[in-house]
Amino acid sequence: MIKTVDLEKIFVVRDQEVRAVDGITTHIKSGEVVVVIGPSGSGKSTYLRCLNGLETLTAGHVHIDGIDLANRKTDMNKVRREVGMVFQQFNLFPHKTVLENLVLAQMKVRKRSRKEAEIKGRALLVKVGIPEKESNYPSQLSGGQQQRVAIARALAMDPKVMLFDEPTSALDPEMVGEVLEVMKQLAREGMTMVVVTHEMGFAREVADRVLFMDYGKLVEEGTPEHFFTEPKEERAKLFLRQVL
Amino acid sequence: MLGIVAGLWVATEKMDYTWRWNRIPQYFLYHDENVKTVPTDGHITKIEKNGGTTTVTVRDQNEGISTFDIDTDTANVSIDEFLMEGDSVGSTREWRAGPLAVGLWVTLWISAVASVLGLIIGVITGLCRVSQNLTLRQLSITYIEIIRGTPLLVQLFIFYFFIGTVFNIGRIPCGIGALGIFAGAYVAEIIRAGIQSISKGQMEAARSLGMNVPQAMVYIILPQAFKRTLPPLAGQFISLIKDSSLVSVIAITDLTKSGREVITSTFAVFEIWFIVAFLYLILTFSLSQVVAWIERRLAVSD
Repeated sequence: MIKTVDLEKIFVVRDQEVRAVDGITTHIKSGEVVVVIGPSGSGKSTYLRCLNGLETLTAGHVHIDGIDLANRKTDMNKVRREVGMVFQQFNLFPHKTVLENLVLAQMKVRKRSRKEAEIKGRALLVKVGIPEKESNYPSQLSGGQQQRVAIARALAMDPKVMLFDEPTSALDPEMVGEVLEVMKQLAREGMTMVVVTHEMGFAREVADRVLFMDYGKLVEEGTPEHFFTEPKEERAKLFLRQVL
Repeated sequence: MLGIVAGLWVATEKMDYTWRWNRIPQYFLYHDENVKTVPTDGHITKIEKNGGTTTVTVRDQNEGISTFDIDTDTANVSIDEFLMEGDSVGSTREWRAGPLAVGLWVTLWISAVASVLGLIIGVITGLCRVSQNLTLRQLSITYIEIIRGTPLLVQLFIFYFFIGTVFNIGRIPCGIGALGIFAGAYVAEIIRAGIQSISKGQMEAARSLGMNVPQAMVYIILPQAFKRTLPPLAGQFISLIKDSSLVSVIAITDLTKSGREVITSTFAVFEIWFIVAFLYLILTFSLSQVVAWIERRLAVSD
């Protein structure tokens, strides 16, 4: 489904090279839930953003369903409609109602009729548990509700993969649960998911595989049981001691 | 405030100025009298009253028949009366807009067209200003710097005397063009500030849904930027209405020029300039009210 080969992303900040992602090779299979964890600044988010081309790759390849994002001829917009993304800051469109947020890209990108898009949008709002808010504006919703709308907005495009960039980090603690619940449900339905998160409980419960990153490198990967109980690498052990 | 007004009043009293406010209304609206005269000598053969209008029929020596429609109360002929060439039969009267009303209308529509032009130029230039393309960016910066760095009056002269002459363009298109291009430079910077004030996450969210850059701009970024920049844009277009008074220097009969023309025939200098200022105030105040209304409507999503 998603293959990354020697993926590298280098930022130049004040003439200093920062290797945010430094040679990551991995394969995410269809239907797999992969959780990426690591200390802050380890390049997890940058790695995730490379997967849908929000960051241009410095070197290496990302293959999504066999299409290489590093190829200049690849139509990014076509790739992105198959790859949903949920952001830490929700990034809902504040000037549009909840339903409009869900409908807009369906109509403009998927070329669906308004009626069709609204039916789809309403069904997804039911799925994430806030059908009564369809005509509200994002600013009138709580953080947890906004993030659930953001998930619904990404799902409305019928993506093959969902990327989550620290989806619960900007939420008040009591709202984290409702967002994680929606994500768990998605995982049960067999959606391919790549999740960057600090929610170790979620990783342990839902993940098929855990990737541990540090300094842009993939330090350790394995099943949650393996990773949380007997990590091999010293840095992973240190990290786990600090967060658990 | 009252003290200032009182002081001014005393001062004008002292300099023996005769206020003639009663002469002003006729320069907005006047009753135009159109006197009908017979082209050749002839006899009145028929006078037919028909309510407010009267039809007078005249037969000349060559048996030619001519009829005149006049207002009944102006009829000054009787049946069988002999009329010499050029005698009047009566007249028709109608209300006509005076120079101040015409000038106000010219100012209004010139400003409106120039505003639309300025907005179009401004949005396009603003988009070029934030584009990735170096050439577009440099071109827009050059345009903005040149226009902002030279006086509008000089631009009007260049537009009218140089561009207008070379390309054979009339004075009104020249005036509108100069105003629109002038406003466009300021609008461009306002729009750029608006676009840059929208968080990067909005563009990323739009792109991650598969929208291309133009779609994201049109549906996501620009509507938000427009809402945010409405107050400075309103200020810019109010400025444009006021700046349009400068087109009087290239002999466009706008409100300011009409005012000057009326002054030359009435010498009511004080009154006319007060009236002209008041009329500009009405235009600008209406515009700010409209913008305030739009702002209230857009505020529902806050």
